[in-house]
Amino acid sequence: MKSESSAPVLIIGGGVAGIGAALDLAGCGHAVHLIERGHILGGQVAKLDKLYPTDHCAFCPLWTDIKKVREHPLIAVHTFTEVKELKRIDDRLHAVMVRKPPVIDENLCVFCGKCAAECPEGAIQTTGDHVYPPSYRIDQDVCNRCGMCTKTCPTAAIDFQRSEETSELLIDDVIWASGFTEVDLTPLPEFGLGTNPDIMTAMEFEEWTAEAGINRGAIIKKSNQSVPRNIAFIQCAGARDQRMLPYCSAVCCMHAVKQAQWVQRRNPAIQCVVFYTDLRTVGRDYYEYSLRDVGGSRVRLIRGRPSLIYPIPQKNGIAIKFENTMTQKREIWKFDMVVLNGNIGSSLKKTDQEKHFSPALSGDGFVMPGSDDISRFACGFSMEPSDVAESVIQASSAAVKAILAKRIK
Amino acid sequence: MSGIAVFLCRCFGEINRVIDLDSLQKKLEQDHSVVFFDVVESICLADDIKEAASRIRKSGAEKIVIGGCSHLARGTVVIDGLVREGMKRSAIRLVDLREACAWIHADDPANAVQKAWDLIRMEIAALYHRRESDNVTISVCPEVMIVGAGPAGLSAARTLGRLGFKVHLLERGSNPGGMLNLISHVYPSDEKAQEKIKLYVHEVEKNPLIHFYPKAKIKSITGFTGDFKVQVSSAAGEEMFRVGAVILASGARVWLPHGLYRYGKLKNVITQMEVERQFLKGPLTITSAVFIQCVGARNNERPYCATMCCPSSLKNAVRIRDENPDARVFILHRDIMTPGSTLEAYYRNALAKGVQFIRFEETNSPEMLGDERVEGVDVYDVINGIKIKLDTDLVVLSTPLVPNDDNVKLAGMLGLQLDRYGFFSEIYPLHPLETRVDGVFICGSARWPVSSDHAMMQGEGAAVKAAALLGRETVSALSLSRIPGEKFGHASVNAETCTGCGNCVAVCPFDACRLQKMGRKSISRVNKFRCKACGNCVSVCPNGTVQLPEHDYRAVGAMIKRAFGEESAL
Amino acid sequence: MKMLIFACKWCGLIGADSAGKKRIQLPADFRVIPVECAALVEPDAVIRAFASGIAGVAVLGCHLGGCRFNHANHAAVKRLELLKTLLDATGIGGNRLLISFGTAHEDHQYAEVVKTFFEELRSLPSADLWM
Repeated sequence: MKSESSAPVLIIGGGVAGIGAALDLAGCGHAVHLIERGHILGGQVAKLDKLYPTDHCAFCPLWTDIKKVREHPLIAVHTFTEVKELKRIDDRLHAVMVRKPPVIDENLCVFCGKCAAECPEGAIQTTGDHVYPPSYRIDQDVCNRCGMCTKTCPTAAIDFQRSEETSELLIDDVIWASGFTEVDLTPLPEFGLGTNPDIMTAMEFEEWTAEAGINRGAIIKKSNQSVPRNIAFIQCAGARDQRMLPYCSAVCCMHAVKQAQWVQRRNPAIQCVVFYTDLRTVGRDYYEYSLRDVGGSRVRLIRGRPSLIYPIPQKNGIAIKFENTMTQKREIWKFDMVVLNGNIGSSLKKTDQEKHFSPALSGDGFVMPGSDDISRFACGFSMEPSDVAESVIQASSAAVKAILAKRIK
Repeated sequence: MSGIAVFLCRCFGEINRVIDLDSLQKKLEQDHSVVFFDVVESICLADDIKEAASRIRKSGAEKIVIGGCSHLARGTVVIDGLVREGMKRSAIRLVDLREACAWIHADDPANAVQKAWDLIRMEIAALYHRRESDNVTISVCPEVMIVGAGPAGLSAARTLGRLGFKVHLLERGSNPGGMLNLISHVYPSDEKAQEKIKLYVHEVEKNPLIHFYPKAKIKSITGFTGDFKVQVSSAAGEEMFRVGAVILASGARVWLPHGLYRYGKLKNVITQMEVERQFLKGPLTITSAVFIQCVGARNNERPYCATMCCPSSLKNAVRIRDENPDARVFILHRDIMTPGSTLEAYYRNALAKGVQFIRFEETNSPEMLGDERVEGVDVYDVINGIKIKLDTDLVVLSTPLVPNDDNVKLAGMLGLQLDRYGFFSEIYPLHPLETRVDGVFICGSARWPVSSDHAMMQGEGAAVKAAALLGRETVSALSLSRIPGEKFGHASVNAETCTGCGNCVAVCPFDACRLQKMGRKSISRVNKFRCKACGNCVSVCPNGTVQLPEHDYRAVGAMIKRAFGEESAL
Repeated sequence: MKMLIFACKWCGLIGADSAGKKRIQLPADFRVIPVECAALVEPDAVIRAFASGIAGVAVLGCHLGGCRFNHANHAAVKRLELLKTLLDATGIGGNRLLISFGTAHEDHQYAEVVKTFFEELRSLPSADLWM
């Protein structure tokens, strides 16, 4: 029997799926390189305020697993890193990665804050409230390269001369865990995105109303900071739509219900309406979660996809033209805020001219595992629109498939 | 008594700008419990840690207090560094003088320094009194028991078998395959159910590491993580074996809709499973069929969506249309639950194949028409706002999967929790295949109704998590932690003072406390492998019998006394 | 006005830590004892604190859906609520015990909780009365 190969596995994406796969592989004694394009681990879930259906704060359980990943001797974490090339060489894969290191090295930063205090342009901010390890970051657009921060930093963590680092690895396999990004809604102008600051996407709304965010959990309008009387949640914006994304984004129904319930909790006076097509509450405890408050006096469900969302000229407010398909009535209602759900897709769909490879993608942009050498394993939203539980399960499955594949070598 | 070393970090001025560390140094000189102290510019850089470690070693101090920044900033870097230098983790305590003192009381240095001094003294007293939990280490038995040989169990067995572990695969029935033995084709691939599991069954039969127990009944399970002892009776006889991990893949059962839609009273009103049985025999080739969704699901009794019913109806509706393109097939639904890319495409395909969809509301469900056999269905089409009469001679009711009756018994044997519906509880949100008992995993419909391909993925997932445990030679109680790194400790009972009241047994979220007869008394015993050190037992114990040694009541008492400058002996 | 805060190391302390990182200024008359879980806070310890002359005790834990020790905080909340009524019955006053589960995990929330509790304690008759 061939001895087990000891080359590491590359995981592309440091979100919940990537983190889960990394911990499973490392738990079984296999070395992992976890590649993350952004500056922190946690991906989209780390940006969420609360999780359904438990109403956990998103960061707390994630933080625990992120800490485990960072401290595990078998897991090498590469943030600010992108894979530039993946090529098969004999029975291994050759990966070329490029890291754009931040000016402030998070491993040397002791979070004393002297750099931020010294900066004349106010260009230095912390990397965020719930980030581990905490450090500071320089906004390159505001920075004037005066170098005051470099002089003040007591641990020499600041270096403007850091250049791109290219590294190469021989790996056994790659697991795609690149998650989702928002898809541009410009092809569907009827949703009104961009015509009014109070028409925003679900992720924008999450950030705007997060307890850790700039409004400290208060629900207020972006246009004038006043409290909205009502908020419309529009499902399937861009999704289940032959013109744009034909698939169902899976997570949005529960996400909207969660957001509506939290609006209710924080300000019971705000009426929330969810405009849906099918309210998909398939996972564990999801249907019961959706029954809480929803369908009651304050969170209404209306079955119908609006045909037009537009700011009312010369008036505060946004008009939504829709047909309530359960009553067959066509109506125009006025809302103070509109949250669009649905326009999310695999982050791999965007073509990247710089990449010298591409995993095998379906027409919808999802990785088709097993199609070719570099697309053998995938998990999470990169493979199929999935929620947190499914992504983590798929990650475990991908991890063990990668382990078994090694044994065959 | 062991001496304590104290390091105060200036954090490059961030701390000593507000807190006069020199005055603290003078006070430390007077404290007899402190055998060594130092004020340093920084303590978290690599060189600092080496230097600190060497000085601690020279001083002979056995316990260390670090007054610096928060454990969420660089604090754990210091602890980890000192541990790498050979110090004991439980002997090192952090006092946050930065985030919790200097930075929030910058306007009030006089009180800030008093607070810093109080915090340091609190920790010195606490360290003096903190004891250590006994750790227990056992050898891990590198074998696994999988309960259920349906798709989830087969997948887990195959995976673990391939990974080189001995597998005890138990099956209640005579053959592996579970629910896939009862259905014709699976979705969304539309392959034959038997084809899907053929490879798995074959591999399970061939792999000498996998032992299959048909007609198995679990008599008892005792033991704990890494070493469960199981008694099983099966077609192969009575057996006892030990395993390091258990995977529950026992599936679920189909709920029969007695009392709904005149099931059992009207002929040709059948369940989805009965349609599958017919497909197994051959094509249906019928002229009409009406599928009704959410029968006995998403209602008061079972307020959940059973995941599989919508895609199953799509699968069977399309099949009927394929067999007879003139057949009129309707799906009556309250939402079509096909989330994602693959399932949504499956739905679109059904539409393209001419399956028709009518939406009804929970409060106005369809009615069966007919006397002895079904002749039609009356339904209020809520989208068109009209009542429709559908002529049909076949009605298929989609009913949910419900938990197996013996989930309760299994949960009892293993000390697991069931959710409000009776499925095995998982750990939210990031460990869906794990339970409150380390080493016991759940997958497939025993966890929550899922399709066979998801069940197989979950089987693989449970397998890799079991493999992580089974691959270890030993497992220690302190390593089974819910926090990064080792457990804080575990509860310990003073057998002499325990009155056997059982408060701890009732309150423990991990079912770690049990009463045991010792002579004439009953006393509480803590299972160190189950205990996670939450502290509930300590808080409900009427006489302080149960303690968390690291958080001994004397430590807490001393901390409280010293919190506001009270002079007191340790 | 002496205040003692028992804070769990997760939701409890994270708010304190964030407040510290943002350098939100707070009155200095409180001390924090971190615990792994708020369930570890014995009623005994709370009473000892009052007996030591501490005017108010706050227990910060994770919100009820979010305890990593399998809802250990549910029992903790019930216990502390019961303790609150006992404190009322014995004349110490239940409003000297602040139970904050899931309401102090952000910096501004923590600051709010601490400042408001101080105000509340100041409005109560002196603790010396019953010492």
